[in-house]
Amino acid sequence: MSQSNPSQIRLTEEGVQAELQRQPHLLMKLAENAFTVAESLRNNYFKNTAQFISALRKAINSYATGKRPDPILGVYDTPKVDWSSVQDEVVTFIDGGVGKVQLSSQVPILLRVGSYCVRTGERRLSEREQFGYYPVILGDLEGGNKERKDFIDIVRISAELLGGLSALERTPDLRLLMFHGPLVYMMSAYAGHTPFTEKDIDLFLKQYAPGTNTAHRLKEEFLEDAKLYIYPPMTPRSDEWIQKKLFEPLAWISWLYRRLIETAKQRTPKPIIAGVVERGELRAFSETILLARVFQGLRKNNQENYFNQMYGRTDLKSPKSLLDRLNYTDALLMAMLLQPGQYSESWEIAKYDGLREGRVTLPNEPDVSVVNFAPLKPENNKTGFPRVNGCYLSVSETTEPIRVETFAELGDDQIHEAVNRAHMYSRLLPGYGFPVGLDIADKFAKVPAWMTQSYGKLIRHHLGVSLQRGEISDAEMRRILVQAIYMTHRDWLFRPQS
Amino acid sequence: MPSANNQNRKFVGTIVGESTSREFRLALDHEAVREQDIIAVDATLRPTDGTASPKQIRVWAKVQRIERLNPLFPVEAGHELAATQTDPFDTVLSLSREMVTAVCQILGAEPLDGGAGGKLDHLRYPPQPASSAYRPESSDIARVVLGELEHKKDRALDIAHLSNRREVDVKVDGHAIVTRHLAILAMTGAGKSVTARRIIEELANKNYPIVIFDPHGDYTGLSEVPGLGNRVRRYYAKFPIFEEDAETVAEIINSLGYELTPTMRHRFDEVFRAAKMFLTDDKTENQTRIGWLAQRLNKPEIGTVFPVERDMWLIAYLAEAGEIVKDQADAAGEQSLTTWGWSGLANYTGTDKRTLEGIKKRAYATAAALRRMEDTNKKIAAIGATPLPTDRKELVQYGGISIVSLAGYTGDFQATIYSIITNDLYDARVRDELKLPVLLLLEEAHNFAPAKADTPAEQRAVAATRQIAQEGRKFSVGLILISQRPSRLDETALAMCNSHIIMRMVNPADQNFIRKVIESLGEDEARMLPDLDVGEAILSGQLINFPVLVKIKQPTSQGEREEKDAFVALEEARKLYGVGRANNPNTRRS
Repeated sequence: MSQSNPSQIRLTEEGVQAELQRQPHLLMKLAENAFTVAESLRNNYFKNTAQFISALRKAINSYATGKRPDPILGVYDTPKVDWSSVQDEVVTFIDGGVGKVQLSSQVPILLRVGSYCVRTGERRLSEREQFGYYPVILGDLEGGNKERKDFIDIVRISAELLGGLSALERTPDLRLLMFHGPLVYMMSAYAGHTPFTEKDIDLFLKQYAPGTNTAHRLKEEFLEDAKLYIYPPMTPRSDEWIQKKLFEPLAWISWLYRRLIETAKQRTPKPIIAGVVERGELRAFSETILLARVFQGLRKNNQENYFNQMYGRTDLKSPKSLLDRLNYTDALLMAMLLQPGQYSESWEIAKYDGLREGRVTLPNEPDVSVVNFAPLKPENNKTGFPRVNGCYLSVSETTEPIRVETFAELGDDQIHEAVNRAHMYSRLLPGYGFPVGLDIADKFAKVPAWMTQSYGKLIRHHLGVSLQRGEISDAEMRRILVQAIYMTHRDWLFRPQS
Repeated sequence: MPSANNQNRKFVGTIVGESTSREFRLALDHEAVREQDIIAVDATLRPTDGTASPKQIRVWAKVQRIERLNPLFPVEAGHELAATQTDPFDTVLSLSREMVTAVCQILGAEPLDGGAGGKLDHLRYPPQPASSAYRPESSDIARVVLGELEHKKDRALDIAHLSNRREVDVKVDGHAIVTRHLAILAMTGAGKSVTARRIIEELANKNYPIVIFDPHGDYTGLSEVPGLGNRVRRYYAKFPIFEEDAETVAEIINSLGYELTPTMRHRFDEVFRAAKMFLTDDKTENQTRIGWLAQRLNKPEIGTVFPVERDMWLIAYLAEAGEIVKDQADAAGEQSLTTWGWSGLANYTGTDKRTLEGIKKRAYATAAALRRMEDTNKKIAAIGATPLPTDRKELVQYGGISIVSLAGYTGDFQATIYSIITNDLYDARVRDELKLPVLLLLEEAHNFAPAKADTPAEQRAVAATRQIAQEGRKFSVGLILISQRPSRLDETALAMCNSHIIMRMVNPADQNFIRKVIESLGEDEARMLPDLDVGEAILSGQLINFPVLVKIKQPTSQGEREEKDAFVALEEARKLYGVGRANNPNTRRS
C-alpha cells in the first residue's frame, strides 16, 4: 500500500506528529504534560507520545484488517447524520447551575436545574418545546454538611435526578433523557453528609414532583424501602432514622436512580437515559481496558520492557504506572486514537469502589455515627447504585472526545443509541463538540448575574443591619463581617498592618 | 379628547433598561407592533418645586427599530444547518425562546386628558422603567399626528394615511409647504410624481397658484381631474434665443455639437446683433426686410411657408445673407444690412465671407435641432397647450395650475427656460408687479439645482433656485423640489427645504446625502429607505408634527408616463392597425 494514502500516513509516527500539530488543543495538553512529568520523561515526550500512538493505531488497524486476533480497542463509526431517522422523538435535556454570590469570596447560594424538552419535527412551537427550571436556595436545607465543598454537589445531583424523573413521568413517549455530566458520579466521594430531613425533601419535591400526591408517594415509598432494605444493612440505628424520617443523601440518590431505571423499564421502547461528560479527567478506560490489553500483548510477546526502553526508565511496567508517570488521560488518548465520528467500545465504569464505612452526623446530634455505605454498591440489586457503561465519542478534530454513559441495566443497545444521538446533536455545535440540547439547558439553567448580585446586596444589607444593631458582639466576627461586606481588592482601609 | 376607554388599549410591552427623555427600550409582546408604529406610555410627573399636584401625562413614542434574538440558537448551529440543508424543526434546536426588544424614540408628551389639543411638549424626564406601553386608539393617534393643525384646518392637506394603521389619516401643513419649501425625494418608480400630484390637487382645492416645470409630461393628467381641468393651463416652451446674450447662444450652438471656431465666434456676435435688430415693431418695415431676405437668399418660402421669427433660423438667414452679399459684392445689399443693424459688414474681407459661411451652416443645423426639440415639446405638452406667454406673470392665476412642459429639450435648454421664467416671476414678486403668491414645482430638480453646475445654463438655474430657496419666503414664492438623485441636488437649496417627503431609495450615495442634509431624519428611518414600498413615504419637517411613515393616497389625476404593459400595447396596436404576423423565413417553402 502506498505511504501517500492518508489512512496509512496516520499510522506512522510522522503522521501522528503532523496530525497533532493541526490540533492545538492536544498540542497544548501535551506541552502541559511535558512540564509536569519527571525530568527523565520530559525529553522527547512529544516524539515518544507520537511513537506510542502510532503503535496503538497500527494495532487497532491490524485487528480491523484481520491481521491481529485480539482487539486492542474496539472502534465504531457512528451512522451518517440523518435527522429524518429521529423524527417525532421527544428528548429532554437536564442541567443544573449554581449561582455564587460575591461576599468576601464567592459563596454558592442558589441552585437551579433547567430542563429542555423538545419533539423533533414538530412545527407547532407551543407543542414542540417545553422549558422548566427549578430553583433551590441552599440555605433553606437542613441536611448535608454545608461546610463541605461537595455539599452543593449532593444537592445538585438530587435536584437533577428529580428533574429527570419528573421529565420521565410527565412524558409518556420520552425517547431520550440526557443529563449534562456523568450519569452517576463517583459516589464514594460524597459519603458522610448529614442526612436530609423530611422538610428538605419536601422542598425538593415541591419543585420537581408532578403533583402533591406523587410527591407524597415518592417520599413514602423511599421511606418504606429504606425501612425494609436500605437502612438496616447500613446502620444499626435504622429504625431511629426511619422514625426521624431521615434521608441519607447517598441512599436517597441511589434510590432515585433505581426509580428512574424502573420507570424506564416499564416503557416500550425503553427510553434511553444517558449522561454526557465534557473535559473528563477519567483514566479508567485506558487503565482497565486499553493499556491492560497492551501490557498483556507485550507480555505475551516477551516485551515487558517496551515502555521502559522507549522512555529510558525501569518502572513503566503496568498500565497504572504508565498513566501515572506520563499523565495520560482517557480523553487525551482517545483524542489521538479516534477520528471524528468514531466512538470507542464501552466498558463498565467503576463508580463505587470507595463505598465503605464512614462517619455521619445526624441532624441536631453532636455525636457521629458509623454508617456502612458498602450495601449501596451495585451488587445489591434492591438498594444499590446502578451499573454504568461508558464510551468515548470523537465529534470533531478540534475538540476533545466526550464520554457518553448509560445504565447497563437498560440494555447494551442504549450506549449505541445514546452515542448516535449525542453525535448528531453535537454536530450542530462542531466548535464546542457537545450536544446542543445540553448547551441550551445549560444556558437556561444558568443563574443570571443580576440575580446573584441582588442576593449579594440583600445579604450584605442584612449583615450590615445586624452589625448596626449590635446583634453580633464577637469582635473577631465583627471584623471579618466588616471585611466581607465592605472590602474591595484595593481598599486602603484594609491594607496590611505594619 | 382622547378616549379614556382602557379596554381598547392594547398592551405592547414593558420599558426595560435605561430610559432617557429621548429614547427607551421596550421588551415586546411578540408581534405586538411593527417598526414606525406609534405607541404611548402613561406617566406621572411631579413639578420640581412641589407646589402643584402631580400631572398625569401620556408619552408618545415611535418604534424605531425592533431587535429579535433567540439566545438559545447558536450561530454555529445555523451554519451547520445551512451546510447540511437541514430544517431546524427536524433537529433538537430550540426555536421558541425569542427576546424581542423595540427601540422607541420619544416624540413628546401631552396631558393625559388631551387638553393640549394634540400639541406635544418636550419630555424632560425619562419614563419609568417597567412602565407598560400600549397601542393608542386611532382617534388619539390622528389627533397627535395632526397636532396644532387641529385648530388650523384650512391649512391641512389630506395626503396620506399611516402606513401601519390605514384607518388613521395623515394631514400635513400646507402653509409650511408653500412658504418653507418641500423636497420630495425618491428613486424612480417609488411614487414621487404621484405624491406631488396629490399635493397639487390638495393645494389646488385651496386655490393656491402653482407653476409646474414638467420635463417629462408627468402632470398633463391634472387637466383631466374633475373640477380642476378648467384651471389647468399647459404651455409649451419655445427657447427664447434673443433673451440670451450672444455668448450664451454661441455656447448653445457649441453644446449641440456644431462648434464655432474662434474666428466664427468673433464674428458671431455681430451676426447675432444683426439678427436681433432685424425685426422691428413696424410690420410694414418687417415685410420689406423679410421680402428682401427671401429674394436675396432665393428662398421664396421665407415669410410665407416659414414665418420669420426671433429664433435661430433668423440668425442662419442673416449669416447666409451676409455671405451672399460679400460673395457677390452686392453693395446695395450690404448697405441694407448695415442700415438694419449689421455695423461693420462693409469691412468684411474674403476670409470673413468664409467665416460667415461656417456660421450659417452651424446656425441652420442648430435651428433644425431646436425645431426638433420644440416639436417634441409641443407634442408632449398635448393638445390645447399654448406657447409660453411673453408676460410670465400670466402663469400665476388664483386657483390656477400652469404646467410648463420642458419635455424634448436637452438639460441645458430646460435649465435656461426654467431660470428665465423663475427669475421673471421672482422679480415680479419683488417689484410687487405680481400680486399673487406662487408655488413653483420642479420635477427632476437636480437638473434645475444641480450640486455641480458645469455649464452657464446650469449655473444660472442653480442661482435662481437658491435665491428662491433662501429668500422666496419673504416674497411668498415657494418651492417643491422633486428628485430621484438627491445627491446631485444643490445642498444649499435642499437644506432650505423645511419639509421633506422621502420615499424608497436604494442608492447609498443618495441615502448618505439625505442623512447629512436632512436633520429631522433619524438614523433608523434612513436605514428603512431601501425597504419602503411603492407609495410609502417618511414625512418629516415642518409639514408634520413628528416624522411618520405613511402611505400616500392616490391622486385623482393620472401621469402621462404611467406606462401601459408593453405587450398589451403591442397587441392593441396590431388590432388597431391590422398588422399581420411576419413570416418565418425558415419555414417558408421554396
